[in-house]
Amino acid sequence: MNILKVDWIGALFALAALAAIPLVFGSSYIIGVMTVALCYGMWAASWDFMSGLTGRENFGHSLFIGAGAYTAGFLNVNFGANPWWSLLAAPVVAVLFSLLMGFPTLRLRGPYFALAMLSASAVMQNLTIIFSGYTGGQDGLNGLFPILDSTLAYYYLTLGLLAASAVVLKLVANSSWGLVLRAIRGDEATCQAAGINVNFYKIVSLVISAAIAGLGGALYAHYQLQVGPDLFTVVLSINIIIMVYVGGMGSIYGPIGGALLLNVLTETLRGLSEYRLWVYTLVLVIILFFLPQGAIAPLWRRIRFMFT
Amino acid sequence: MTALLQVKGLNKHFGGLYAVRDVSFDLQPGSITGILGPNGAGKTTMFNLLTGFIRADSGSALFDGHSLVGLAPHQIVNLGLARTFQLARPFSGMSVVENVEVACHAQRVRHFGMPRKRAHALLEQVGLGGQAEFEVDVLPYGDLRRLEIARALATKPKLLLLDEPFAGLGAGEVGPLADLIRTLHKSEGLTILLIEHKLREFMQLVHEIIAMDFGEIVAVGTPTKIVRHPRVIEAYLGTQDLALDMA
Repeated sequence: MNILKVDWIGALFALAALAAIPLVFGSSYIIGVMTVALCYGMWAASWDFMSGLTGRENFGHSLFIGAGAYTAGFLNVNFGANPWWSLLAAPVVAVLFSLLMGFPTLRLRGPYFALAMLSASAVMQNLTIIFSGYTGGQDGLNGLFPILDSTLAYYYLTLGLLAASAVVLKLVANSSWGLVLRAIRGDEATCQAAGINVNFYKIVSLVISAAIAGLGGALYAHYQLQVGPDLFTVVLSINIIIMVYVGGMGSIYGPIGGALLLNVLTETLRGLSEYRLWVYTLVLVIILFFLPQGAIAPLWRRIRFMFT
Repeated sequence: MTALLQVKGLNKHFGGLYAVRDVSFDLQPGSITGILGPNGAGKTTMFNLLTGFIRADSGSALFDGHSLVGLAPHQIVNLGLARTFQLARPFSGMSVVENVEVACHAQRVRHFGMPRKRAHALLEQVGLGGQAEFEVDVLPYGDLRRLEIARALATKPKLLLLDEPFAGLGAGEVGPLADLIRTLHKSEGLTILLIEHKLREFMQLVHEIIAMDFGEIVAVGTPTKIVRHPRVIEAYLGTQDLALDMA
């Protein structure tokens, strides 16, 4: 069997397994945990598309997540808009932020982009507190409407949008566009000498990454029915990067797996109460130390190798 | 015949040091021209100025009717002026054919389509057909040089700038690479400008030499004339005996 076929079959199996989870477990608690995990999956995959492929690390992905979530919050709470509009408006606002950040910083060499993203997300977190009259400050915006009344249906909506995002990102990553992004990761100057407009590719990739992160932010907001400044934190950005590393950078599907794995792990370890952080950290250290390429993507490559 | 490249009064200084000072020259279409000069003479800086990797302080460069001043590197490549680097800089982690394929997506050549097929053909042309599917990181140095040339050729250049293509090559690799450059010059109708230190092959390859020292052009002429030019001998070759030996 050729590689592409095995990949598609693998993806369908993964999708079927995720679709079956609520049917097997059924508790609204587990459905909730998994819905949040799917949002993290969108964030990790979108981070990987830009930063994993081009090698320009983004340390402030929460900027796009928070922008998307607060857009949903404003539209819904302040303007009483139909919550479905959030799914359209959140990516648009996140894209505006990405253009604002990408144009001045992505053309610079060195860590400017990474640091500018980090700073911008921190600034936005402070702004939400400074302008508490509009944003609700530390309490955030409360009382968002659910997009769908049933948590089960909402889980499937989130799963569908994650699957669609993943397919789009993976198809683009496998196309000539992805080839150029990997070349940018290899050597930017050589890419320019090959006649490639490197800045254009980087900015468009950031725009795509931001759109999906913003969409994930809106989905998260309409699950929690609340948005707060914690969605702009550096901690959230770093957690996403850890999920990408655990999954395997540059593969798109690996980071989604990493996000699901770490979210489920966090929840399973809740029973250990105070030892939870110990175990979680230990698992992370073991994975990052012994599997520098990540856990999910290399594992899948092995499985794929057995079938081809 | 109008010149393919007209450089006038090009200047670049870093702090108080002039890397390139008032450099002017013309390149005729179809010529192979060499730039000769000791280390620090400003040869690579001039390449970087012409290809947009560094901005000139003043001066003009007219290529094929287009001013190169203020253009970004990829825009210059898409006018038909391609370069190779002194130290080969492949896209590591990618296959040899993918390395060339990237350049097939340059705006200038995108309309040709079938980038993978073109990349394979280009690898055949430079003698790397058998290594197409290898990881680029396993290629020996001499092959990386050929890969650099294939990548530059993928953008269908009119003028090709080669920065020390023979540097670091074994004795047995220099001749075949010089032959490849000659073949490409004929078959592709390329105009070539190259920087080199390996004198014997260099002298046999080029039609004309521009000799530089301390950022300035000190002499221009045919290889036989240049090696007898007193300024060149003083700046680069040291003794007259050596100069005669080279000729």
